[in-house]
Amino acid sequence: MTRTMRTQTNAQAHREPTDDLGGLATSFADIGARLWHLFISMRTGLALMLGLAALGLIGTLLAQADPALQGDRQAYAAWLESVRPRYGGWTGVLDALGLFTIFSSIWFRGIIVLLATSVLACSANRAPHLWRLAVHPRTNVGESFFAHAPLSASIASPTDPDVALAEVRAAFRARHFRTIVSRDGDTLHLYADRFRWGPFGTVIAHLSLILILAGALIGTAWGFRNNGLAVPVGSRVEVGYGTGLSIEAKSFTDSYYTNGSPSDFTSDLVLYRDGAQVAAQTIRVNEPLRAGDVSVYQSFYGAAAVMKVADPTGMVVFDRGVPLEWTSRDGKHRVGQFILPDAGLTAYVIGVASGEVDPQIKPGQMRIEVYASGSEGSLIASESVSQGRPTKIAGLDFTFVRERQFTGLIVARDPGAVLVWIGASLLVFGISLVFLFPSRRAWALIRRRPNGSSIQIGAIVRHEITFQSDFKRLVDEVELALTGPSGA
Amino acid sequence: MLNMSEYGLISGIISIGLALGCYVLATVLARLARRQTVMAGAGAGGGTIAIGQRGASNLAAYGTLLVYLGLVFISASLVFRTIASGRGPFANMYEFSVAFAWGILVVYASFERRYKQRALGLVALPIALALLLYAMTIPSAIDPLVPALQNNLLLSAHVAVAIVAYGTFSISFAAAILHLIQGENGRRSLPSRELLDEISYKAVVIGFPFLTLTIALGAVWADLAWGTYWSWDPKETASLVTWLIYGSYLHARVIRGWRGKRATWFLVLGFGATLFTYFGNLFFGGLHSYSGLS
Repeated sequence: MTRTMRTQTNAQAHREPTDDLGGLATSFADIGARLWHLFISMRTGLALMLGLAALGLIGTLLAQADPALQGDRQAYAAWLESVRPRYGGWTGVLDALGLFTIFSSIWFRGIIVLLATSVLACSANRAPHLWRLAVHPRTNVGESFFAHAPLSASIASPTDPDVALAEVRAAFRARHFRTIVSRDGDTLHLYADRFRWGPFGTVIAHLSLILILAGALIGTAWGFRNNGLAVPVGSRVEVGYGTGLSIEAKSFTDSYYTNGSPSDFTSDLVLYRDGAQVAAQTIRVNEPLRAGDVSVYQSFYGAAAVMKVADPTGMVVFDRGVPLEWTSRDGKHRVGQFILPDAGLTAYVIGVASGEVDPQIKPGQMRIEVYASGSEGSLIASESVSQGRPTKIAGLDFTFVRERQFTGLIVARDPGAVLVWIGASLLVFGISLVFLFPSRRAWALIRRRPNGSSIQIGAIVRHEITFQSDFKRLVDEVELALTGPSGA
Repeated sequence: MLNMSEYGLISGIISIGLALGCYVLATVLARLARRQTVMAGAGAGGGTIAIGQRGASNLAAYGTLLVYLGLVFISASLVFRTIASGRGPFANMYEFSVAFAWGILVVYASFERRYKQRALGLVALPIALALLLYAMTIPSAIDPLVPALQNNLLLSAHVAVAIVAYGTFSISFAAAILHLIQGENGRRSLPSRELLDEISYKAVVIGFPFLTLTIALGAVWADLAWGTYWSWDPKETASLVTWLIYGSYLHARVIRGWRGKRATWFLVLGFGATLFTYFGNLFFGGLHSYSGLS
């Protein structure tokens, strides 16, 4: 009834001019209805999933720039040059299409948004229907149902309808079906279902995807991640991001098997908040430090140079390990950097990478290059310094105290992760529920006949051979019980 | 122990090879017998036809026994390896390959029991056999685990669950191939399209939750070892692509007019993605570089 009325309204809207407000409202409603139908369509969902799969495939086949590079135009340009030999003239095209950063591209985000909309629309569309089926199933059906049901059978029984009903009911119960009986005069209705909550698995699974997406968004918006916090052994480094945290590395150990492959990387860490110790733990790969909502992971390691800098009065202005965390473009040097804020200087510490030789930097030496801080910083002085010997550079005394290791940490806070875990658990639960506990529904109609009773049994499971044969067995069983082995 | 494991694998390969031989021969014999029936009509040559048919069904039964035997050998091989290494046999390409083949055989054996369709074996057994032979060609030494893999529980759970998923997808692929070969009206020597459709579906319905769990457990592990639950590592992404394709299949199957051949192509695509995910780390690098083949 309602449906017919809506159709009439639409028909009127098409006849009347749409420049008045009423017409406009209707056409908005019309667009809304079209969009709704687009988003609840399985075909739309299918196209979006395949689109996402295609982007994923591109993402595995095509080199992807480290997300950390994306904020740094210069670094990204350098990365682009590094892949140019591989992609040649296509490099520019692929870059313009955003395919080197595909998982943050407009295509990817667009499909995710559309898919999320489709998932929500489908769930909103399906859930009430599924709820009705599970909670208020139609327990009695008429004659015509059995004529059209994909699976149906009729049995003539010489017994009383109540006896027939008991047999049918027992057969369903033996198969773990729930049964509901209703009476309509002499006519008996039986409704049987199994795993009626199974279909809710689809709603749970679909909504859990939204939860995972929400978790990822929250993590990106309100979390932070530093994938490369290098902490020299014996030094303390600020975490930043407004956490008030700093990390001290008491020691770092890298151990190896006899075949040369690594066996363990461990760091003894102490975590401070505003100067007070809040946690201390030996972390290793697979054993991060969790302090509140911040996690610290073992990620990489390398050499550090402990540097001491004193001003002309002899006051020490810097005394810490400087991680040599970068490798020069030619791969021959390891480079670290530190800032002397009071002097307005930035110092680079350059060591020779293992296995390389540089006549300018002898064993036991580091080369120091001092620049004026700022974007246009120019080289002020550079000098090779020997271990333990103070050397005057740019008016300051630089001492290369000793070489130590640094431990490379990932420090992250992800307030969305909990949603991701809940979502992932619900996803596995929902998918298992819907597929491993498929819902089954069947009806039986039993009428009194002059010579006993007639039984009709029907089910609406299409295209399922195993259920078809089970249904057939059930019917045979009932028939055998009611009419005896002769079938008479 | 390691020697025992090796013998188990070789015995397994021989058993599965013989099983496949039995299946192929049984199919050929059954076919010949049927052709003779058609040519000879009723009456003449009935004796030889009966012998041919009996021979075929005997051979097929031996084939099934050999599959079970092969499964026992390969299971033993994996158990011996577990004892020798003190961890789940899932830490390098050799172990993945044997385990993958094991997964295919387990799922195949249970589907054969349930649906009595040995034709599936004509596709599934060669895949398992190829994986086992591939395992024979790559280094099988037990190397100690690099730090990232030192999580026995997650290593075993993540890979074992993946093996079940891969095994079921292989069976759904086998049924899909037969479905595509099977003519519109059904050739007698192959199962009907409806039955193949159901077998594929039932396999995916088991495999899909397992693939989901594989990815979820992978995320849990990545969060511990790599510092983030998802980092678009190529193998992660490939597994997501596989998940999306099987997800698409499950949706396509309920779209009017898509059931049957159209949905079946998704299974072929899905198995392609499964193999891509499986072998991918050999050529696209990334964090999952544990093959031991570098």
